[in-house]
Amino acid sequence: MYLPSAVTKQQEIDAAISQVVAELSPDVIRIRYDIGEDWSGQWAIFFRVVLSDDSARRRLRDVITNVVGALADRLDFPGMGVFPYHNFRSVSEQAALQEEAWA
Amino acid sequence: MALCDDLLDDARHLAQRGSSENRPSCKRRAISTAYYAVFHMIVDDFVEHWPFPDQRARLGRMFTHQKMRDTRVKFGHPHKPTTVEIALKEIVSALGQLQKDRHRADYDAGWQVVDTDVAQAITSAADIFSRWRAIRNEEAVRNHLLSMFGAKTED
Repeated sequence: MYLPSAVTKQQEIDAAISQVVAELSPDVIRIRYDIGEDWSGQWAIFFRVVLSDDSARRRLRDVITNVVGALADRLDFPGMGVFPYHNFRSVSEQAALQEEAWA
Repeated sequence: MALCDDLLDDARHLAQRGSSENRPSCKRRAISTAYYAVFHMIVDDFVEHWPFPDQRARLGRMFTHQKMRDTRVKFGHPHKPTTVEIALKEIVSALGQLQKDRHRADYDAGWQVVDTDVAQAITSAADIFSRWRAIRNEEAVRNHLLSMFGAKTED
């Protein structure tokens, strides 16, 4: 079974995420991720980004651009064999939903 | 107003209703509609140049979602992409994100859609509209559009 090289590079991914969170704090609270197949069967990395309420409400466009760009600058997604997806929610939204995958 | 612009407006209205009434169905439709606004903008940009108006809808149906997402953006110089090529690559990435979210919105009943998901889709679609329209007549974009349609690249 084919597995993308991203599966073996989780330390590298974790390190990049730590840098991005530090760089974009306090807008970005934390980033979680999974590697798996998307709806079309293509390998992908799914980032789940929790944002401060203020940035989610007032600066979403800029924050999305910053997060997507900062991760792409540090991680070679095509080289890792994955397509990156990024989803965002605010601290309040996560507090209401209490989804473990975003905690 | 073109269909794609109407769809983007509809997406905004659905987003507003979804948020004010906390109505998940409207939030899902907003995301799906935002994607289809982008889809139709790109397809219409291609078929409008076909000289036979009665055949344009059929031509448009030849586009496939997956092909549009997976078509690789070719750089004229591999290590020195132009600003247009970089913009095009970012548009295609954003299209892929919207496509995935649209698929979840339409089929994943377990997805708990929040306002930020909807805002992301609308923002992304609006950005794709403005960025695409700014570069649509560039040669790299015309070539990419042809590749999205299914034409083989000139390697």
